[in-house]
Amino acid sequence: MNIIEAKNITRSFGTGDLKTNVLKGIDFSVAAGEFVAIMGKSGAGKSTLMYQLSVLDEPTSGEISVNGTDIIALSENERTNFRLNTLGYVFQNYALVPDLSAEENVMLPLLMRNYDWQVAKQMARAAIDGVGLAGKYTNLPAELSGGEQQRVSIARAVAGKPKILFVDEPTANLDTVSGTLVIDLITRVNKEEGQTIVMVTHEREYALGCNRIVYLEDGLITKTETLI
Amino acid sequence: MRSFRIGVLLGFRQIQRASVWTTGLIIFVMMLTFLNLIAVSGILVGLIEGSERAVQEKSLGDIIITALDDEDQILQTETIRRTLDTLPEVASYSIRYQQGVQIVANYKTRRDFSTEPNSIGTQAVGIDPAAENRVTALAENIVEGEYLNPDESGYILIGALNLDRYTAGFADITGSLKDVYPGDSVRVTIGNASREFTVKGIINAKAGGVASFVYLPEKELRRLNNSVSRDASEIAIRLADTRPATALAVKSVLEDQGVDSLAKVRTFQEALPKFITDIKQTFNILGTFIGAVGIIVASITIFIIIFINAISRRQQIGILKGIGIDRKAIEIAYVLQSAFYALSGSLLGALITYGVLIGYFDRNPIDFPFSDGILVAEPLGTLYRFLVLFVITLFAGFVPAWIIVRQNTLNSILGRKD
Repeated sequence: MNIIEAKNITRSFGTGDLKTNVLKGIDFSVAAGEFVAIMGKSGAGKSTLMYQLSVLDEPTSGEISVNGTDIIALSENERTNFRLNTLGYVFQNYALVPDLSAEENVMLPLLMRNYDWQVAKQMARAAIDGVGLAGKYTNLPAELSGGEQQRVSIARAVAGKPKILFVDEPTANLDTVSGTLVIDLITRVNKEEGQTIVMVTHEREYALGCNRIVYLEDGLITKTETLI
Repeated sequence: MRSFRIGVLLGFRQIQRASVWTTGLIIFVMMLTFLNLIAVSGILVGLIEGSERAVQEKSLGDIIITALDDEDQILQTETIRRTLDTLPEVASYSIRYQQGVQIVANYKTRRDFSTEPNSIGTQAVGIDPAAENRVTALAENIVEGEYLNPDESGYILIGALNLDRYTAGFADITGSLKDVYPGDSVRVTIGNASREFTVKGIINAKAGGVASFVYLPEKELRRLNNSVSRDASEIAIRLADTRPATALAVKSVLEDQGVDSLAKVRTFQEALPKFITDIKQTFNILGTFIGAVGIIVASITIFIIIFINAISRRQQIGILKGIGIDRKAIEIAYVLQSAFYALSGSLLGALITYGVLIGYFDRNPIDFPFSDGILVAEPLGTLYRFLVLFVITLFAGFVPAWIIVRQNTLNSILGRKD
């Protein structure tokens, strides 16, 4: 059973002579519970593909179904709600709200999902404990290292137990030790919680814990490598 | 509700984590805007309000009774006096007799009759000094010499506007007496009758006419006028409760008792000279205009502040939308910040206005030629202006947030142009 189904996805930017075709007709699917890495050189279109699948962007043409929903047909508000209730995100630059403490950052999507304040707080603290940052609930992002911020970002993404987790180059700004820790965390989420994960990465060593690696080149999938 | 909860959290934390200096500066600007809105127009209106208050306190009283339009004097003044004596609301009243007079100052020392005499034509007001003082506190307006005693005769008070040294620049237009001081003798002439009076004091006040008259005991004026009639020119009434509503009620009682068939009965507000009410309206418009400019400046300030704040957090806003936080929550966060700035600034402004400025200007009125300017800030008017400022500030905070929030989510996250 595929939780993500994308058919003949294209994505172009600009018009006329300046038109750039970043994705040139991609068919892509992810099974429920699968951990897929998307790899490729810079400009290959890997992040662009992930943005289409994660409902952050709209393809120029093609069909995408996520968790049984035709996401192309959704309105702006429906897309926001869909992202809130079905998807989780880990961004390259951590993307934490600087004015909120670690636990408030994690609570934010939970509160938006209408959890009671105390319940959201408990869930947030459990998620922060889960990424090994117990005791740093009230720290502001500026008071945390890059690796710690990324772990808070992971806690925020998984606290509401979304069906699919999209991870965009999570180790890009981290040293090797922190990067390994973050990848281990993401892998653990997949193994223990059974969450579907789509991860974009440059580094093959970090993709080795995935079920499958999809290679992109010049807007097309050129190779798929099944690992487990 | 959930959007509101998130908006409050985001907005509150943004305020909490913002630089104290920046927040202080914004609140300071809002406070100045509030003061501009309330105090500037309040002082403009206060100039006229001060003038009105002076006319009420020093000239007209709370109710003024004057002759009917087709009569020279109030009819049956004694009947009206007896009526006034029966009304508990009336604290005091002063019956005044007015008469045009000629005053000559140098009649004793004038040697050369080819030169202009030191004289002036003016209005004399015959009063009961004690009664007049109870109604208008006329004695408080003595700037030189002393007030009239009830049991003495042969003395006169001269309004400062009749004297050369108080009317510099106007003397050529109005005419004035030169070198007249308390203790000097002047000759007062009505028709063919003349009498010598000693100047006992000089009266000066910034209230309609008070300083342009001369005052003497009513018996002496009537004697000089050779009048046996006790019908007066006007009766100024001071009420125990000086509020306009009470004046209207007492006026109604007087009309019920038929006084309006003998004289014209008007409350102080009805009797105010038209130019005062016209100036008051003009100043009100001027104050509102200045206030409106202040509001526009404040709204642009808030717009720029929120816009810069929101544009510098564009990526963060994109990420918030990306993780499923809806637009409304983010907009509420920025509107709340605007509300905080507007409320804090206005609160400070109100504290300064009501806690300091009003009291200060009451104790130290601004010395204008025609009135002592005070600061008028009616609570209801202040509330109305605050609400206008508040709503416009919220709008000024909402618009930039709305502009940024509606941008493409992914473009915001990646810092790309829309």
